[in-house]
Amino acid sequence: MVKLDEAKDSPRTGDYIIEDNKVRLHASRCPSCGAVFYPRRNNCSADATSPLEEIALSSGGTVYTFTVARQSTPEFKTPYVLAYVDFKEDVRVLLPFDADEPPVIGAAVEIVMAAGPRITDGGLVSIPHARLQR
Amino acid sequence: MEDIFVLGIGMTPFGKHPDSSAADLGAQAVNLALADAGLGGKEIEAAWVGHVFQGMAMGQRALYAAGLSGIPIDNVENACSSGSTAIWDATLALRAGAYDVVLALGVEHMTTAFRGALAPDPSDIEAQLGLTMPGIYAMRAQRYMVQYGVAPQDIAKIAVKNKRNAAMNPLSHFKKAVTLDEVMQGRLIADPLRLHECAPISDGAAAVVLVSKAKLKELGGTRAIKLAASALRSGRTEVGLVDMTVEDLTWRTAQAAYEQAGVGPGEIGFAEVHDCFSIAEALRVEGMGLVPHGEYVARVAKGEMDLDGILPVNGSGGLLGKGHPLGATGVAQVVEIVKQLRGEAGERQIANAKIGVAHCRGGKAQGVEGTACTVNILVA
Repeated sequence: MVKLDEAKDSPRTGDYIIEDNKVRLHASRCPSCGAVFYPRRNNCSADATSPLEEIALSSGGTVYTFTVARQSTPEFKTPYVLAYVDFKEDVRVLLPFDADEPPVIGAAVEIVMAAGPRITDGGLVSIPHARLQR
Repeated sequence: MEDIFVLGIGMTPFGKHPDSSAADLGAQAVNLALADAGLGGKEIEAAWVGHVFQGMAMGQRALYAAGLSGIPIDNVENACSSGSTAIWDATLALRAGAYDVVLALGVEHMTTAFRGALAPDPSDIEAQLGLTMPGIYAMRAQRYMVQYGVAPQDIAKIAVKNKRNAAMNPLSHFKKAVTLDEVMQGRLIADPLRLHECAPISDGAAAVVLVSKAKLKELGGTRAIKLAASALRSGRTEVGLVDMTVEDLTWRTAQAAYEQAGVGPGEIGFAEVHDCFSIAEALRVEGMGLVPHGEYVARVAKGEMDLDGILPVNGSGGLLGKGHPLGATGVAQVVEIVKQLRGEAGERQIANAKIGVAHCRGGKAQGVEGTACTVNILVA
């Protein structure tokens, strides 16, 4: 697993890094109990250990579950697909899905930058999404 | 532990109340509960008031409207479990011997406070990514379908049952039964959940008057129902790749309640559970250990959870049919169980109702399995 300080030449924006066009989410791991958290935290929510190790998650995972949100709060452009993605680093992360069609449970995905689904002042902003592995 | 009794219950109709404020609804429920208990407002020593979106000091406004002021009033927010947390707080005060007659009120005017899909707090990253409450339950439903080999129409039968019960409840938001076809033709809200499988946006209030055993002896009421257990727990930090069809929070809360009441899951005769979405009822009844994991929808299809089944669930119509004014919901569940145990449930009366359980579970906060869960057990 690459530690973030070993990847310091990569462009880093908020809670992820981009390496060779691959998006790796920036997470925290508890050195005591091993719990992994995304987004990052300063302490472990399971046992209050602090500080935590910074890690970059793999650039892909598998779909644990998904839905198509067809009704939402006003700041979202519906419909949009959401998925919980399981990473081999033992953490589950909610991500918007970069496709109009929903995936199936267990599908292999990669993490990419894509626009939406939240509408901000300038329109849809590019954030990490899950996409079926190509 | 000293026994606690529900002496009076009161509940407004649930639904859309454009001409009443939250305070009006709260006052109406309080006055109904006082009348039902045969007590005057002056006999209430302290009150706990659950609400979520009603702003500052809703409790004081509602009780002032009811003609009560000056007593200790505690405003309680615990997401969808706010009202049942108010009951829990009230039981602690009675058990501590601080008071003998207290009030728990739940109130919410959702139609003025809320629009669109309910979502976690906007500060949570998952809310910023578009997670809504229907979205969370839809994703759990997708897992449930794959893990246990069931189809959307199997889950939808829960909505058919609850709306059929709601049609027999004069206080329900929805008073019309729906067919399975109607549910399946409803618009998708979050796949696979459709409109009839999501609790509506409702206004309403419900109140209970709770008394100590000593006070009950003094008053000599004969319609009092024993509140044998009141348990509250919060969700644990989610670590690793957990099974989202299993509710650890529901199980821990139910276990605490079973222990307090001295009853096991096998002795529960009927239940009101937090069916904010159709699938939620399955997760909760299984979570409380009343049915093995993965079997609930098949039991519903067999009629086991109907009013004349072996374990009637949500005879009131549940949140899906009766409505879901957040703060009021947990109190309304207890109101329904008291009616059943008194034999005052009219058309929807469950034969030989002896032990009923109310399960209420609220909200979603980043990183934890659920926010708050209460389980109350009442015994005739």
